[in-house]
Formats: sequence, structure tokens, C-alpha cells
Amino acid sequence: MPHDSHDHTDPPSDLTLRVKALETALTRKGYVDPAAVDAVVDTFETKVGPRNGAAVVAKAWTDPDFKQRLLDDASAACAELGFSGQQGEQLKAVENTDDVHNIVVCTLCSCYPWPVLGLPPSWYKSHAYRSRAVIEPRAVLEEFGVSIPEDKEVRVWDSTAELRYLVLPERPDGTDDLSEDALAELVTRDSMIGTGVAKK
Amino acid sequence: MTNSVHDMGGMHGFGALTHYDNEPVFESDWQRKTFGLMMASLGPFQVNLDNVRSRMESISPTTYLSVGYYDKWFLTLEDLAIEKGLVSREDLAALAAGKDISLTRDVDPIPADGMLAFLATGATAARPIDTPARFAVGDQVRAKTLNPSGHTRLPRYARGKVGTVIADLGGQIYPDSNATFSGEGPERAFTVKFKATELWGSEANAKDTVCIDLWDPYLEPAT
Repeated sequence: MPHDSHDHTDPPSDLTLRVKALETALTRKGYVDPAAVDAVVDTFETKVGPRNGAAVVAKAWTDPDFKQRLLDDASAACAELGFSGQQGEQLKAVENTDDVHNIVVCTLCSCYPWPVLGLPPSWYKSHAYRSRAVIEPRAVLEEFGVSIPEDKEVRVWDSTAELRYLVLPERPDGTDDLSEDALAELVTRDSMIGTGVAKK
Repeated sequence: MTNSVHDMGGMHGFGALTHYDNEPVFESDWQRKTFGLMMASLGPFQVNLDNVRSRMESISPTTYLSVGYYDKWFLTLEDLAIEKGLVSREDLAALAAGKDISLTRDVDPIPADGMLAFLATGATAARPIDTPARFAVGDQVRAKTLNPSGHTRLPRYARGKVGTVIADLGGQIYPDSNATFSGEGPERAFTVKFKATELWGSEANAKDTVCIDLWDPYLEPAT
């Protein structure tokens, strides 16, 4: 169930009760401060998300020096815009070009560049994506509506270590007149994972 | 755990991708809580990321495949609390049933501002390393055929396969030892690019590649 369709009149599920029980135990034993739990959740629900990455991409599209810094050391370049922290300590930006289309997966768990993209969507964590992205990336891309010509390389990045990947999508044609903010609106989350392209 | 179902690269049978627009970050309050509780208690539990990953991989394969992502986080956190002696399974069941259980405070939690600083600062796995790199960019390497009983980040689909080193990532905490608290044991890691045809056979597109980040002990020269 990807969408929260929980009806508040439903009796709580087993898991709801078990999580509540564990929360009570962890709180009473002094392992967690409920305010700290709320702060963590709030960070990823309202502050950190793919708009961060979109700002990075838009700046790279408009500022060649920044783009070079991003490709040389993505952690430092993203930190210039204030995006750093857990699961973004070591970042690498991989650029889509005429010759290469990049796509990112974590086959072993669901590693993801939190500071620039937030927490991963459910499809990224799905068994289907984790199993298929490395063996049939083109079929996966087709399901996302992305067709890559046979003679163009699809390069898959499996996030097996602590390096987290951000795809730098190609800038759409005909966007020369757009501001950095307007360009950022074209940058989708999926385009920064490689399962999409920037909006036209 | 190494050869378990978490190591999914190249498996068949999981069906088509399901993609949703405007998906919420969390689908329900219990998922929200589970994420927050895990992040907030990592410090007090004195566990590291590799250990947590190893625990999650040790969930029985049938359960692993039949439950969702945050269910695995919850099962891991619940087992951790029980194993560390914070609370018994019976007490958790009693709490879930609405009974009150007396639990005494052992430690002081990380407050909200401390948690926000923890998130903002991060904790890099990069470590200084003195030993010279065994491989240079451009070298051909083979991912070893290894089947350790413990945690590893060498995916099955790469084992025995030959690729080309495309980056030296320097010293990195070695997950295989860090997961069991046997020390960070930093080893040099490399990004290795494999041809899809090497990994999957001649049916694969000859242009396509898969890049995998692999630690030195996973690799040998390809001669």
C-alpha cells in the first residue's frame, strides 16, 4: 500500500501496537527522547528531499565552475548549497551525456543520498527494482517510460559501499532563457536516480 | 549473513515496477515512528550501520521477502532491544496489550538538538590508509569467489567476474569486520566497472556496464 489510506476508525494493526510498545520501552529506558524522534521525522518529511538535489542540478546547468566542482567532489559542492550530513558524507555525481545514461540502485539494501534526495521512494526499495536494475536496466527504464537507444551505454551504479550517487541529468533543449529556479522545477527525483529524465 | 535473499542483484521473479506519483515520505505513523526510533537509538545501542545492515540481512528469508521495508527496520530494532536486555519479548507483548510495565531508566537519550546535529554532521566511513593501492585506475581485477558466513558487501552477481578499476576511493571502514565489532579495519575501496556481458552473458547489451564499489580484500588481479 503505497498511499496512506489508513482510516482512523480502524482498530490499530498488530504492527501499530508493537511499534507503540517498543517506543514506550525505548523511551522509559532512556534510549530515545520522543522530541528527538519527532525532530528526525520532521527533518525528512519537511526539510530534506529531492528539491535539494534539484537545486544542485539547476546550479550545475547554469554555472560551469560549479558543475566542475560537483563532478570533482560532489560532497563539497553540495555542502556549498547547505546539503550535507547522514548518508551524504561521500557523494559522487555522475553525468548523463550523449553517450551514457546513468542509473543508481542498491541491490544489497536501499542506500540512497539522503541530504540531496531525502528518503527513497517505495519503488527504489522494492525487491523488483533491487533485483532487476543491474540485470535488465533497459527493461526497468522502459517501465519508467525512458527509452535508451541500443547504441548508447546504460551505466548502472550499485551502491555497495558508502559512496552515494546523484545522477546529473541532461539539461533539456530550449531552456536557455530559464532562470536557475525555473530550471530546478524541471528536475524530477527520478531524473536524479536515472529512472527519469528532466521535464521539458 | 552473506548468501541470503537481501543480495538481490540479478534475481528474477519480483515482477514489474510500481511507480506512484506524490508518494508520502512515510505511509503510516508506525513507519514514521520506526524510522525515528531507529535513528535516535543507534547511539545509545552502540551499534554501527554495518551491524544494523547485518542484523537486517539475518531476518529469515521467508520473512524478509514477505514484509515491507520499514517492517524490516522494526523487526531489527525490536530484536536489538530484546538482545541488549532492555526489555523482554513478554514485556513488549504486555505493553502492546495495553498493560503497564515498570521499566527503569538506564541511560540519558540524545536530545532533539543533538539528533539534528547528528543528522547534519553525518559520520564518514572514509579513513586514512597508509598501505599503497594494490590496483590503479585502468587495471583489470577479478572479484573473488568468496562465501563468508558473516556480513559482506560483495554481491553474489559480481563474484568471479572481471572488471576494470575506474576509481580509487581511498581507505574506507571495512564492513565485514565492522559489522561484528571486530574493528573498523579500514581497507582501500575501488569502483570497478563490469561489462554487462561479463556479468550476465552474451544476451546483455554489449554497451552496458555495472559499476560496483568493492574493497581491496574482495579483489584479485585478473591475469
